[in-house]
Amino acid sequence: MNMKKILFILSLVFAGLLVSCEDFLDTPSQSTLDESLIFSDPTLAASAIDGIKVPIGETNSYRGRFLTHYGSNTDIEWNNSSTSAGARTDLAKYVNSPINTDMNTSNNAWAQMYSGIERANICIRGIRAFGNPAPGNEMGQLLGEALTLRAIFYADLLKAWGDVVARFEPISSETMYLPKSSREIIYKQIIADLEEAATLVAWPNETARTSTTEQINRAFVKAFRARLCLWAAGYSQYPDGIRRSTDPDLTVAKLYPVALQECNDVIASNSVKLETTFEALWRKNCEDLTVDPDPAGWESLWEIPFAQGRGRHLYTYGVKHRSVDQYTGQAQGGTYGPLPFVFYDFDVKDTRRDVTCVPYEYGTAVSGVAKQQFRSLNNWCFGKWRYEWMDRIVTSTNDDGVNKIYMRYAEVLLMAAEIENELNGPTAAAPYLKQIRQRAFAQADWPTKVDAYVNGLSSKEAMFNAIVKEQGYEFCGEMERKQALIRWNLLKTKMDEAKVKMTNLRDRTGEYSDVPADLYYKFVADEDGQLTKLSVYGLNRGETADMSGEYPFSVIGWVGPTKITDAQKDALYTNNPDQNQFWPIWQVFIDTSNGQLKNDYGY
Amino acid sequence: MTESINEIRRSLFRGCSGLRALLVVALLVIPLASFSQDLTVKGRVTDSQTGEAMIGLNVVIKGTVRGVVTDMDGNYTVTNCPPDAVLVFSYVGYDPVEVPVQGRSVVDATITSSSSLLDEVVVIGYGTAARRDITGAVTSVKGKDLAKIPVTTASEAMTGKMAGVQVVTTEGSPDAEITIRVRGGGSITQDNSPLYIVDGSPVSNINDIPTSTIQSIDVLKDASSTAIYGARGANGVIIITTKGGTSGKVSVNYNAYYGFKKVADHLTNLSVEDYVKWQYEYALLSDQLDEYEKYFGMYQDIDLYDGQPSTNWYDQIFGHVGKTFNHDLNITGGSEKFRYAFTYAGLRSDEIMLDSRYTRDNLSLKMDHKASDKIGLGFSMRYSDTKIYGAGSVDQAGGTPTDSRVKQAMLYVPIPFTSIGEFDDTEFSSNMTNPMDNVRDNDRQQLRKRFNMTGNFTWDIVKGLQFRTEEALDYYTTNDDRFYGVTTYYVKNTPSAAYQNLPALESNENISNTLRSTNTLNYDFNQLFQGTGHSLKLLAGQEVIATKSNSVFNQVWGYPDFFTSDQAYKLTSQGFSNRYTDTYNPDNNLLSFFGRINYDYKGKYIVAATFRADGSSKFSAGNQWGYFPSVSVGWRISEENFMKGISSTVNNLKLRLAYGTSGNNNIPSGQISQIFISGSSSWINGFSSFWAPSKTMANPDLKWETTYTRNIGLDFGLFKNRLNGTVELYDNTTKDLLINFPVSGTGYDTQYRNMGETENKGLEIALNGVIVDKGNVRVNVGFNIGFNNNEIISLGTMQDFGVATGWASTEIGNDYWIAVGGSVGEMYGYQSDGRYEVSDFDYDAETETWNLKEGVADATAVIGTLRPGMLKLKDITGNDTISVADCSVIGNANPDNTGGFNIEAVVYGFDFSAQFNWSYGNDIYNANKIEYTTGRYQFRNMIDIMADGKRWTNLDPATGALVNDPATLETMNANTTMWSPYMSRHVFSDWAVEDGSFLRLNTLTLGYTLPSEIVKKIKIQNLRFYVSAYNVFIWTDYSGFDPEVSTRRNTALTPGLDYSAYPKSRQILYGLNLTF
Repeated sequence: MNMKKILFILSLVFAGLLVSCEDFLDTPSQSTLDESLIFSDPTLAASAIDGIKVPIGETNSYRGRFLTHYGSNTDIEWNNSSTSAGARTDLAKYVNSPINTDMNTSNNAWAQMYSGIERANICIRGIRAFGNPAPGNEMGQLLGEALTLRAIFYADLLKAWGDVVARFEPISSETMYLPKSSREIIYKQIIADLEEAATLVAWPNETARTSTTEQINRAFVKAFRARLCLWAAGYSQYPDGIRRSTDPDLTVAKLYPVALQECNDVIASNSVKLETTFEALWRKNCEDLTVDPDPAGWESLWEIPFAQGRGRHLYTYGVKHRSVDQYTGQAQGGTYGPLPFVFYDFDVKDTRRDVTCVPYEYGTAVSGVAKQQFRSLNNWCFGKWRYEWMDRIVTSTNDDGVNKIYMRYAEVLLMAAEIENELNGPTAAAPYLKQIRQRAFAQADWPTKVDAYVNGLSSKEAMFNAIVKEQGYEFCGEMERKQALIRWNLLKTKMDEAKVKMTNLRDRTGEYSDVPADLYYKFVADEDGQLTKLSVYGLNRGETADMSGEYPFSVIGWVGPTKITDAQKDALYTNNPDQNQFWPIWQVFIDTSNGQLKNDYGY
Repeated sequence: MTESINEIRRSLFRGCSGLRALLVVALLVIPLASFSQDLTVKGRVTDSQTGEAMIGLNVVIKGTVRGVVTDMDGNYTVTNCPPDAVLVFSYVGYDPVEVPVQGRSVVDATITSSSSLLDEVVVIGYGTAARRDITGAVTSVKGKDLAKIPVTTASEAMTGKMAGVQVVTTEGSPDAEITIRVRGGGSITQDNSPLYIVDGSPVSNINDIPTSTIQSIDVLKDASSTAIYGARGANGVIIITTKGGTSGKVSVNYNAYYGFKKVADHLTNLSVEDYVKWQYEYALLSDQLDEYEKYFGMYQDIDLYDGQPSTNWYDQIFGHVGKTFNHDLNITGGSEKFRYAFTYAGLRSDEIMLDSRYTRDNLSLKMDHKASDKIGLGFSMRYSDTKIYGAGSVDQAGGTPTDSRVKQAMLYVPIPFTSIGEFDDTEFSSNMTNPMDNVRDNDRQQLRKRFNMTGNFTWDIVKGLQFRTEEALDYYTTNDDRFYGVTTYYVKNTPSAAYQNLPALESNENISNTLRSTNTLNYDFNQLFQGTGHSLKLLAGQEVIATKSNSVFNQVWGYPDFFTSDQAYKLTSQGFSNRYTDTYNPDNNLLSFFGRINYDYKGKYIVAATFRADGSSKFSAGNQWGYFPSVSVGWRISEENFMKGISSTVNNLKLRLAYGTSGNNNIPSGQISQIFISGSSSWINGFSSFWAPSKTMANPDLKWETTYTRNIGLDFGLFKNRLNGTVELYDNTTKDLLINFPVSGTGYDTQYRNMGETENKGLEIALNGVIVDKGNVRVNVGFNIGFNNNEIISLGTMQDFGVATGWASTEIGNDYWIAVGGSVGEMYGYQSDGRYEVSDFDYDAETETWNLKEGVADATAVIGTLRPGMLKLKDITGNDTISVADCSVIGNANPDNTGGFNIEAVVYGFDFSAQFNWSYGNDIYNANKIEYTTGRYQFRNMIDIMADGKRWTNLDPATGALVNDPATLETMNANTTMWSPYMSRHVFSDWAVEDGSFLRLNTLTLGYTLPSEIVKKIKIQNLRFYVSAYNVFIWTDYSGFDPEVSTRRNTALTPGLDYSAYPKSRQILYGLNLTF
């Protein structure tokens, strides 16, 4: 080969390289799909909607932080260890520190919620651009879901932190760092979003996708929008004090009618209804093997759809088990409980009482079998979630996998009652309140406990107070109370009342003078015929006889001055709840905000 | 007569081999020797270049200790010299010459000034240069220096040998990451690793190259040297050249060693009775007496524990005697036209940790063929196979180390309670498991294979003009299997419900395939400038590097509960494969053009200039191309006439100046557009995979990070190079730093960005001296020291920020601080103020509470509910409350200087070498010490810093009651010095910041080479036996295991933290070098 030939070939090689240079340096991502492809196909788009939900289950997100830390202490619920020091009890006692060791991590719920928001923003942009969403089509349903999921993240951010950063577009370098925006801007946006979403998503069971409580349906969207209207119009803490919003679009006059319309739409749709009994509602929640997930069309409007190995609801709020036993592979529960007097405040005929307040736990198992044993007066468990109601044995040491009912139909009725009372007076409110109470009491008791009771609420004020009470009876343990008290501007007022009630209960004076001091009990057979369940005399008011003959065991002095010490009573809150309605933004987020974020409210 | 006998003998040797040769030697050589008659040999020795007589030069009969010294005229006389002897002429600064006597009585010799220094060939990237012509900052280690002291990896071979190259072996495990920093490293959060080039090909690490195959390691330190590598040279370039063939007869070289190693250091735990006593006090303080009594019994019976033997878990886990066997075989040979080299190397090592093993096998072949006067061809291939068994001492370089093995071994209950193994408290059992189970349930195997093949073609087109093309393939696979047994946090929580509490496996396989094509054209203007004194060389080149990679991830859950790690690796079908993904990464392509001009005038004035343009596919159009020019000049002062007078004293003096730029694109591909990835989750019901954007936010504006370096160097050689050295001053600034910046709270976790500027300034000195050189006695000393000062000049638009290492999960928060004006590696925490004394409180007997006096800072938020004896922290803000605002910079991981020195001596057949390395002035964040002295969790053991009598106690041993009487408490603690271990979280204070300065005798070797006259008789050219000791001693004030440590390496921001490091060992090995 002569030199000319070689040079010719070489120059060809070089020339070829230079020509292909542009392509050579443009290497597309592989193992990925383009936004335009994902959001033009309903199956792929649905998978992107699934992606929005994943941050809920992430470590230190809803699963182990937001759902397990937010909501106590109130006038009916508290952290059972409120007297001991700890990151979680600090929050319960309104001791707010940006460096709270449970929360101050870069993967905290705050970050996960924004991760969900970003994913929702991308889905919303993508579906609008490539999916042709319209009411009645699959893409419309998916867009509605994305809008609703984004509203859920924002609602929870607003609930926990007050003013937060508003992001309604996928992030760009320009919007990387933003200061907090006013909660009003966010409320207006998400209330508008939900209005749109309601036109897009189907009613429960209207389509296959809305046949379960794990997917967003129109009843939930509307009910949730009503809830947000009440929050937006209600009281909350601002840097300048507790007040209602001054925004003309967020007044009671503007938003209550909107909320009422939404409630009425849901009620009129007949697409959802109250469970027949209160206990059935919660048993259904705990069971997830026989029917998984729960079918829509009943009381639960939407649930956070934890898989069986993820989620800490029973772990945190369930009846305590001291050891692994016949009902559970994890010895958990009882972190929070009702305040000691809640049980006694319930009407003795109210079926919600024994479902909600449980004075016992399961003791250390002997040969794998545990028996119920009394806890102390200051240490009740919520009974809505019980391992013994589950139809599978939990195996994880950290998660139980039970769904969180995010909203249920009873709240729609109660909101309707509250709004009607506000707008049209007690008579308009009465039918809704009656529905709630009819489910709570046996039909035989309706004349007195429902009709006479509700009809007796003749003034607007009396009706309002009854609704505040009813909200507590209905939702105790569901961690809805704190936000309700805040929007009514009753947080500290009611908690102070609760402290007085605790004093009166332990001293058995005032409204608790007929509470018995001693308990008498025996063991009765459970469903397996084992003598593990308690049968008690002495929990109902007036049961003051000495029953030691009939019951072999007793707790003498179940109620008494030492049973709720001053320290315990005072541990309901350390700092003024009204001055500490919100959590601080955790230091790690302040540090990475490039100076844009700060904490108000003196944290 | 003697001649013919010799002839016969030579021909016999040629014809024989192996055993036959031995027989021939035994039968013939010895009796024949009696026929030879010894001679008296005379001669004169002159310098080959000047013709001057060599005075005082050594003349030795090879293989013996007999020798003489030349006189004033260069003459010598050797008596009784065997006619077949070989005379060795040697002189400092000259290459030794061997001349066979061949029966002559007059043997003259010429000797040439040593090429080992000034003419030493230095690899400078796409070519080589003589040391005398170098104008940039380049240091080298030669293979012959490495051969004597065997180490496993090339990185270790560099430890302490090169000024300005800091080599830190981060922990003691066989696969421990060795961080190499050339002049400090410019980047803030990105990888500061230098670019590794092995035989022209860039590679990701150099741990799979056996040191016996290395011919040289050259480190390019300043940008004028690295600019030829443009894009990727910002953190220095380490060029490894492997050995090639040599023409001449076949040479077979075999090296082997066998060694033992043992853990180097221990910390002492509490005695059993002290442990139980502390547990009791803890239970009192934390109000968990029932838990105490459940496991330890009643306090009245505490004396049962007196004198009980304790289980030394640390020894059980890390106390094994490690055994290493290494051997390698090198065969080289060839003719004038064809040369080859073949190597096999094998390493087997049992490590000191339970179930920890390491093996490595290498094969390589290198061939060169001179096809014609103008055409040369070359081919080489390397194959390496590395296997690492065992998960080491800690899972992650970052994140929460839940299953840390060192922690378990140090803190697990020291008494063999059966019940202790079955703690029913989840919180507790998730934090502590039996250390033996812990090791077995956290097993791992890593299999790495690399195959590299290179072919080259050289064409001398016309005289002086050479074209060279090189085509290379690099195929690299890593397989990482991580087993999770039933005690791990992972299996208890991560798998979906049905598979929980059953063994699981996560398997990662990465496959990467790189093709490289390098074409260069060299022109030497020698022809044109002949006789003018001018010399000019040009290089123009073009290079393409294209890498394709993919990773396969397989997650298997729910193995049968009795499965061991080995079964899990091999029987994946016995579990449920929850997730199998094969991810194809975007191609990583690099296209480059480069050129270099070397000019010098009469060897006095040297100028070198390089330019490189790099296009990288990691950036978007517009930012793809980076341009990296550099220029350097050298002045060989010693060549000037005015220096002639002192040339016998100063034989070399060169001043160098250089300025240059180089770049860095060391980030993952695919950062410029937000991509959707298919994820997998078992957390939400109804789906197991989903689409979502990556958690790393894209940044389309990314561009090259650029380092600007300025370098002044002075090379000198004194007394005929008997003392030579280099002094360098440099100032590097790095701009547009590529940073993986945390952005949590925005919707993403991190984002790669260009931001800020750092500066590294420093001074390096390297000295080598020949102390003694008397024929058979030679002593060399080498010394190097590097000073580097790192400063963060700017963080761009960002504010100063903290970094959390997370070793204690979230309890500590930010413990490193990145601030403008500071440096990377500043530790951030509280200042210790001793402890709260009784006098700091008023005791309220009624409410049984301790109330702080006015003016005493309240640390409740950090330490927990206060009582006397608790850790006290300095109130920096002066607001009487300790909070995160009272944290400040309390330590700096950067050393003032690092360096090494070595002594090498040869005394007759014996050789001796000692290599020291040191680091001075750096701080270590002793996180172990915090964890081992904090009574944060029940049942955990502590170390003797917190022994009874040293720690504050609140316990009245007589009654078992908590003492609250102020006077009694004060008396009880009169002789204690430490605070009470009891606190509500781990706290990082300056108490845990320790001086990490150390001086280590890294290796000590003693060897003996058998006299060649003996070994030759058994057909062996050279035979050496040696014994080497590693990590012989360390001189340090550091209280932890070993001060050369850095265990939180997820980012470069957290250097110098000691947490749960795999312990270092002391090693002694016995070896031989054998050449046929």
